[in-house]
Amino acid sequence: METAEVTRSSETTKVVRQAKKKNMRKLVTISLFTAPALIVYLVYVVYPILSTLSYSFYSWDGTSDKTFIGLDNYVQLFHDAIFWTSLTNNAWVVMTSVFVQIPLGMIMALMLFAPIRGIRLFSSVYFLPFLMSTVAIGLLWVYMFDPINGIINQLINFLGFENVAWLSDENTALIAILLVVVWQFSPFYMILFKAAMVGIGEELYESAEIDGANSWQKFFHITLPLLMPTIVSSSILAIVGSLKAFDIFYIMTGGGPNHATELMGTYMFKQAFINFNMGYASAIAFIMFLIALVVTILIQVVDYNRKKKGAF
Amino acid sequence: MKKISALLSVMVLMLLAACGGNQGASGNADNGDEKVIEVWHLETGEREKLFQEVAKQFEEDHEGVKIKLLQTPNDAYKQKLAVSMSGGNPPDVFQSWGGGWLKHFVDQGNVKDITENVDQDHYLEMALNNGTFDDKVYGVPLGLSLDVIFYNKVIFEKYNLEEPKTYEEFTEIIKTLKENDVTPLALTNKTKWPGAYYLMNFASRIGGPDLFESAFNREGRGFDDPAYVEAGEYIQELVKMDAFNEGFNGIPYDEGRGRQLMYSGQAAMMDMTISFLNNVREEAPQFEDKLGFFVFPTIEGGEGNDTQVGGATGPVWSVAKESKNPDLAAEFIKALTSKEAAQKFTDRTGTLAAVKDVVPEDEFVKQFYDVAQNASHIQMPYDQTLPPELAELHKDTTQALFGLSMTPEEAANKMEAKAEELLE
Amino acid sequence: MVQSLRKIPLYLIGLVLLVFTGYPFIYMISTSLKDQSTFFERPFAIFTTIEWGNYADVFQMGLTRYFLNSILVSVAAVVAVMLIAALASYPLSRMNFRFNRGLFLLFISGMMLPIHATLIPIFKLSQNMGLYDSLLALLGPYIAFSLPISIFILTQFMQEIPKSLEEAAKIDGCSHFGIFWRIILPMLTPALMTVFIYNFIHLWNEFIFALVLVSSPENMTLPLGLQDFYGEFSVNVPGLMAALTLASLPMLVVYLFSQEKVVKGLTGGAVKG
Repeated sequence: METAEVTRSSETTKVVRQAKKKNMRKLVTISLFTAPALIVYLVYVVYPILSTLSYSFYSWDGTSDKTFIGLDNYVQLFHDAIFWTSLTNNAWVVMTSVFVQIPLGMIMALMLFAPIRGIRLFSSVYFLPFLMSTVAIGLLWVYMFDPINGIINQLINFLGFENVAWLSDENTALIAILLVVVWQFSPFYMILFKAAMVGIGEELYESAEIDGANSWQKFFHITLPLLMPTIVSSSILAIVGSLKAFDIFYIMTGGGPNHATELMGTYMFKQAFINFNMGYASAIAFIMFLIALVVTILIQVVDYNRKKKGAF
Repeated sequence: MKKISALLSVMVLMLLAACGGNQGASGNADNGDEKVIEVWHLETGEREKLFQEVAKQFEEDHEGVKIKLLQTPNDAYKQKLAVSMSGGNPPDVFQSWGGGWLKHFVDQGNVKDITENVDQDHYLEMALNNGTFDDKVYGVPLGLSLDVIFYNKVIFEKYNLEEPKTYEEFTEIIKTLKENDVTPLALTNKTKWPGAYYLMNFASRIGGPDLFESAFNREGRGFDDPAYVEAGEYIQELVKMDAFNEGFNGIPYDEGRGRQLMYSGQAAMMDMTISFLNNVREEAPQFEDKLGFFVFPTIEGGEGNDTQVGGATGPVWSVAKESKNPDLAAEFIKALTSKEAAQKFTDRTGTLAAVKDVVPEDEFVKQFYDVAQNASHIQMPYDQTLPPELAELHKDTTQALFGLSMTPEEAANKMEAKAEELLE
Repeated sequence: MVQSLRKIPLYLIGLVLLVFTGYPFIYMISTSLKDQSTFFERPFAIFTTIEWGNYADVFQMGLTRYFLNSILVSVAAVVAVMLIAALASYPLSRMNFRFNRGLFLLFISGMMLPIHATLIPIFKLSQNMGLYDSLLALLGPYIAFSLPISIFILTQFMQEIPKSLEEAAKIDGCSHFGIFWRIILPMLTPALMTVFIYNFIHLWNEFIFALVLVSSPENMTLPLGLQDFYGEFSVNVPGLMAALTLASLPMLVVYLFSQEKVVKGLTGGAVKG
């Protein structure tokens, strides 16, 4: 009996030891794989995030001594009407990105698989907006939106409508820039979808064809479900990107007129580098960071549950 | 895959090697005995060439000194300088416009007091004041710009118009031009400061040139003074008359659309700084023959008159306190603003010099010079004088006035509230 | 006949998208072929004149050094990012461990911080490390801020690769690294190419870090070199457009190359698998 117990316990220790050894090896593997990324990360990303957080508790104009003011910046932010305007505008950018930009990107990707001639041309031209520098895009679109003779108004006149003062009018400025945003970033989602679509096996379509499915059915029953992971990740990218949007807005309107196109990003920039309220700007930056983080976690959780249910 | 990865590692190694080699030679550290003065500015064209010539001469006169000029355009320049100041590694010499922006860095203790280094009598007093705080000189001016209304002489002749003296004459001209389908005034107000000149001019004509000084120094009058409210009303009256081109609040200045309206004859007048002359010469030389200008018209019953004009200083040169060779740097900014350099500056760039006794040779520029000589007061732009945050609010509220999305009272009250918070 | 008639709507959609996406590029090229005064006479007209003067000017401006710097730093950063991100994505997407989600979030949190907020900390950092005003100063932030989106894209793709392949390899005695290198990486080509093209374009056009971290002409990248077109109150629009047109060419080549790889890499992978 005693011996039996001894054997059993030595067996368990052996198992435990093996499991520990296995765990150790796993840990080493994980560390080796992630170490290069982690190192770069800690230095260049985690450090600035922590700096931003700490600056946000100070009243700081850039160089002279900082004064610790606790949460005052955040309290002030909460009562800042311009901040709320910019938050709303950011929400519009998010909506447009998710509901216009991503579907358009998908349509463009589908076009590249369509049974028509000249795919190479389509594929190259569709991508052009994404490889143009934002400086060029901003400048050219300002000319295209020109209230007097710009091509957009020429088109509108041709269709029998009155001139619109696109970027000058507080009611249309945001719409105008959102159009440019859609134009600029759809190609990126196009290549994301294209990369996902080439992964879908031909045999799926072939067997569907044998079953007599038409193009729409094939799209809704094969393509779309298989693209779901890409749609989810595109949405996260679009939302995170939209929350910190800056460049094209800064170039085209600078957030104006009268803050009609102000974003958290442009407002933060102005507070930091024009008004020299670095502490306040850091608070805005940190709020931007938090919102993006929370939204990403939420989407991940929803996505996790979706996968767990086994539904596409 | 193997081939690619081998290629990649070779490339990375090459990069590291290449950078390792560069590293020693870069930065603004001194190399051996050579003293390096790093100079940041934002000018291109003839202005930049002039700086390069002065630098070359300076290097010849001072053995073992190297001048390193770096040009960065406007917005990027402000950001680059702000970051380098905050990060504790500013250039030895930097350019500004004087006023509130420079004062911000002075208050932070980042700018060297050069009162002892320079001869104050060398500069025009009004211009030097813009770089002087608490009687200490922190920046010396090279250029002086004026704000006038440019017009197309051919269009004026065609409709028998004459340079207006009063606001009534001005609005008559606007009406005539409108009847003939000419845009009276070109305005590019995405940039905000072109519109701000109207507010400054109206306020000065209505409330007198002391109005701003008094509001700025908190000496009785405020930014909610009735004159400011009235100035806002005048602006909105012009907007409602359709005096400006369509969509002005969305058109940027630098990219040239507003100037294009002038060059092509679609618009007849434009309120702008005299730097416009230089633009004309570069972009549409044949237009210069048609170009005329007048100073902002007077307003009946107002306290101001037409010897009071708007102006601006720039470049204004300063030395960073952190500079390793502060006295040498101060020598260099004296060279940049020497009488000889100033003469070249005015002759080659179509702007006035901020140095005394420098008369422009160019006939057109000479007309600007005469206006400046006869001026009883030169109003520096608010956005350069006020502290940065208030300056920004001034431009934002004025743009909103033009967009008819804010009443003159609202704009004035917002300005005054912020002024009370920021000014002592 | 019926077949080709049914394709008409497809061609129509294709063409509308073609004009929508292509017009600004055409406008850019057309503007680059005007001299300043023709541009000011008729800024909206397309291909009224064809003057190559701006291109000659661009070549005379000596942008070669900037161009080389841009290639060097973008290629080095992108290559490093692809490697580092693929490595990190492997355990994140294919191994179960306790901090998996947390680590993943840490990695992608980098894309949530606005770049402008990081400027002052990173400026100080590069100074302390003695890298300020060198190409190496750019390499760190470029890699770090390209990693989040790269890891994000790569993990998504890796998750979709069937586990069965890997298990077969494990039975054959392959280590994790072997699996990663021989099985996962080749199957990842489309995703890697997406990461490649995305990051290359971003870094090629990157302005703000370059502006702040470099102040000697010999270390400048192409976007900084374009500043010569900006005066205090004016922009030489046609000249700028000529330079930008030229600057976009390498990216077009990179794009076409990478898209070729997406298709080829996939068929190649399928044969191997």
